[in-house]
Amino acid sequence: MKISRIGAPIAVAAVAALAVAGCTPQAESGLDEGTKVTIAWNQAFYSYNGNTSFGNATANNNINYMALSGFNYYNNVPELVQDESFGTYEMLSEDPLTVKYTVNEDVKWSDGTPIDAADLLVHWAALSRALDTPDFDPAEFTDPDTGEFTDAFPTDVVYFDSGATPDAGLGLVQETPEIGDDGRSITMVYEAPYVDWELAFSAPLPAHVMAKNALGIEDNEEAKQAAIEAIQSEDDAALAGLSAFWNSGFNFTSLPDDPEVYLSSGPYVITDFQADQFITLKANPEYVGDNKPAIEEVTVRFIPDPLAAVQALENGEVDVIQPQATADIKTALDAIDGITVSTGLGGTYEHVDLQFTNSKSGTFENPLVREAFMKVIPRAEIVDKLIKPIIGDDALVRNSQLFVPGAAGYDDSIANNGSAAYEETDIEGAKALLAEAGVTNPEVCILYASNNPRRVNEFQLIQASAAEAGFNVTDCGSEQWGGLLGTPGAYDASLFGWQSTSLGVTSSGPTFQTGGINNLNFYSNPEVDKLIVELNTEFDADRQIEIQQEIDKLLWEDGYGVTVFQFPEVTAYSDRIEGVDASILAPTIFWNVWDWKVSE
Amino acid sequence: MASFIIRRLIASIFVLFAATFLMYLLTALSGDPLQELRESNAPNKAELMEARTKLLNLDVPPFFRYFLWLGGIFRGDFGISVQNQSVNVMLGNAIGATLQLVTIATVVAIVLGIIVGIASALRQYSGFDYSVTFISFLFFSLPIFWVAVLLKQYMAIQINNWLRDPVIATATIIIVALIAGLLWMSIVGGRALKKLITFGVSALATAGLLLYFSLTGWFNTPSIGIVGVAITGVAVAFGVTAISTGLRNKKALYSSLIVVGIGVALYFPMMNGVFNFMTMPLFLTLIVATIFLSGAVGWLMGGPDRWQSVRTAAIVGFMVASVVALDKYMSYWAAYSNSSRINGRPIATVGAATPNLGGNFWIQGIDTFTHLLLPTIAIVLISFAGYTRYSRASLLEVMNQDYIRTARAKGLTERTVIVRHAFRNALIPITTIIAFDVGAIVGGAVITETVFGWTGMGRLFVEGLNRVDPNPVMAFFLVTGTFAVVFNLIADLLYAALDPRIKVS
Repeated sequence: MKISRIGAPIAVAAVAALAVAGCTPQAESGLDEGTKVTIAWNQAFYSYNGNTSFGNATANNNINYMALSGFNYYNNVPELVQDESFGTYEMLSEDPLTVKYTVNEDVKWSDGTPIDAADLLVHWAALSRALDTPDFDPAEFTDPDTGEFTDAFPTDVVYFDSGATPDAGLGLVQETPEIGDDGRSITMVYEAPYVDWELAFSAPLPAHVMAKNALGIEDNEEAKQAAIEAIQSEDDAALAGLSAFWNSGFNFTSLPDDPEVYLSSGPYVITDFQADQFITLKANPEYVGDNKPAIEEVTVRFIPDPLAAVQALENGEVDVIQPQATADIKTALDAIDGITVSTGLGGTYEHVDLQFTNSKSGTFENPLVREAFMKVIPRAEIVDKLIKPIIGDDALVRNSQLFVPGAAGYDDSIANNGSAAYEETDIEGAKALLAEAGVTNPEVCILYASNNPRRVNEFQLIQASAAEAGFNVTDCGSEQWGGLLGTPGAYDASLFGWQSTSLGVTSSGPTFQTGGINNLNFYSNPEVDKLIVELNTEFDADRQIEIQQEIDKLLWEDGYGVTVFQFPEVTAYSDRIEGVDASILAPTIFWNVWDWKVSE
Repeated sequence: MASFIIRRLIASIFVLFAATFLMYLLTALSGDPLQELRESNAPNKAELMEARTKLLNLDVPPFFRYFLWLGGIFRGDFGISVQNQSVNVMLGNAIGATLQLVTIATVVAIVLGIIVGIASALRQYSGFDYSVTFISFLFFSLPIFWVAVLLKQYMAIQINNWLRDPVIATATIIIVALIAGLLWMSIVGGRALKKLITFGVSALATAGLLLYFSLTGWFNTPSIGIVGVAITGVAVAFGVTAISTGLRNKKALYSSLIVVGIGVALYFPMMNGVFNFMTMPLFLTLIVATIFLSGAVGWLMGGPDRWQSVRTAAIVGFMVASVVALDKYMSYWAAYSNSSRINGRPIATVGAATPNLGGNFWIQGIDTFTHLLLPTIAIVLISFAGYTRYSRASLLEVMNQDYIRTARAKGLTERTVIVRHAFRNALIPITTIIAFDVGAIVGGAVITETVFGWTGMGRLFVEGLNRVDPNPVMAFFLVTGTFAVVFNLIADLLYAALDPRIKVS
């Protein structure tokens, strides 16, 4: 029988196997352990250069904030904090505005190369666009389909895609800055006073990496020198390469082969990046600054769906989340044990603007009608019905057109700016004003995002309340509302949000000045214009606040419109993490990531 | 035949062109790509809007922009997204993620669907048949986002909580055992006494196994062990032989049993030796070697029809090897589950892998399993219904045909009639549906991907639409559209090839 012939060897093999079994251990599992925190964010990272026109997104800036140090950052008060462990800056003169930035002696990139004036100088060149080839239109040389430059692209054209304007920020520094302090400082001279100068200079990128890649240099020091020389001698051929690399060399959607394009100057350095899945940063061994991280490893997982983030938190897959805040999400979070839910305010605020001219029906050309309408906008009701269910008592009616709640000047301003008159709806008062103005049933067509459920609700609440006073509120809502903003004759009032990204004072200009780019309701008050001009040249912080308070008051008196609420923000984190305390301004939860601790 | 294919292809190309044109216009006109910039009050807003306009040629009307896009397609370039990312790269990542997510789910759904469908057809109007019908329609009508959220809550979060102390309650054991008993009784069928025996045996076996798992904390340190492999192996050998050739073919049965013996003999050398050096190429090589070697055993055993033994032995060999590999995976389960990144909560709710887990081949395999488990169940539950209904209906129709009666009249065994005469022909219509579905795999699963945090084809499409960004949308549309057209054609050709009564012309 064949079986026995086959069976014998099998028996032998089995015995041999049993013998082997006794002495061979299990292979190492190869698992990696250490302190770590995982954060969920709703969008994937895609550019290490948050200064380009398309790279400036929170998804990028959160990561770059941890990996790239600058001279200052916002804390959660919010107020601007100087990071003197990285470098210092000082205003040498007000007129002409002269600012000196000095990097500390021992700060290094994560490859050990010192951070110095070369990095600052290239950063200036990029953010100022002072060396860009004038009147160059990249579209002529851009492949329409790929967006990449065609072969016909002139090799000596300098184009930094930082979106800089010649009348704000570093755009005002056209003169090449002076290098000093053994090549660790630059001194910049502004052509016109710019009061938000502290915000103009963000965290620099490694100049030697750009020069190495763009100019084909091997040595780090040589590369730095080449970059400085290119800028100082305005060598278009070299600058063209530098600018091209600055524009696109730092964009990546998975871990690049070349570790130099993600060199770190901050507390953390990128170590892993899986496309569309997660990005991991580990403590930067070369970092010598004050913000030394307590947690060794930070991973940001990209989870677009808010409920998925909540369940991932419950299941321990992520430790910290800040999902899009809705009442459902808040309810879901409240039901979970072992986590802390903290509510607060976000950087965007909702407001209703009234069209002064060029409106659809001309209703608001009469100041009495404006005042009457502002009286019937149920601001408290909107907050109670739409925001309180999400963040409870943290919800507040924003009462200032200029100040971020919590920031210096807000409390004083709301006490005096006249917003108190619009705290509660005043139907009778509105009726009286309409009677005084001699109008009956004035039509108000409100523009809002009709695909945003919250704004639809707000619209309905306003419509119902205004009807009581005799206003005929009609629906100008559209999904294309963004494109309709500022269109003459399209609507009478608009309901949307502005996002505050900084505490800078110069952003008021475009919104409230006559003819400003964000002045979409054609507001014009010579007094405000004058104050804004003064504000834009006033360096004293206290005086800045005073001027802003005056503007705020005038805006409310003129019936500019009303601010409604600050967007709600919900942060939830596992009890094993300590120290999470979100800021109203970007980078929200990330602002103190180095102070977080793991409690186990 | 050739002219048919060419005609179909040419027509399809025109259809695709027209469809892409329509799709491009619809996407481009669906909103305002500068929306988010209009909302910002950045001082350089005008410059930012200009930069984006230039980047995406927004100054060209969509009608003409389509042709710019088309020009790029002919050069194999899908363009760039709003975020200045190459759509080619995005598409590559998305296809990879989607294939990983949907392929396994589709295969499981097809295999399971056909098996259950056939079982329910053979036991038509039995309790099993009614239950399957009810359950498949129930799942078919459930919305997937809801199923997904429930799965996460009960199959991940609750199961993970339970795994801290995996004791099965007595009531649960009794209920599960009763259900298992009823299930097997209904499937096996027969006279009252046989039914009763089946019920008793299967209920007791289930209860015993669950009790064993519960008492030994098996779920935290799962293993099969050499005895388990041997028992499963013998069962597999008898089961596969019974369906493949019938138990009367002794040569096939013996070769299967020999293969099981070899598998058991190799258990320790594999578990403690070869498997410790496992890599993907070695894994694939071992699979091929196993099938080849088992086939060789069948060949050597010979018999009147060698290939029957070869086939049976190869299937059994593959399955026994799988059980041994599964045991190896299980041996790393505790290490995986207790690692600091998993923290004793192995079943994942989101993503494709645990970030920075590290780990060897087996740990990585477990990690993929724990991440694929929920989305796969969600997709299978929903698509399983279709396959069971199709295969049930198809087999029932075939079983009522005259040639089946003829085959029975010839005195063929019931196995031969069902497996050879009925099952093969019942598969023909299902094949075309499968060809269709395989083409649709690439389209991804929009909701499943979103809920489980995968960035596949579905996400590419939805994100593109949300940002009013035509290039990613078009990349999705072109790829899925092409697949749909090609697999449609393949389905037609396959049908003609399988069914000689049909002719394409």
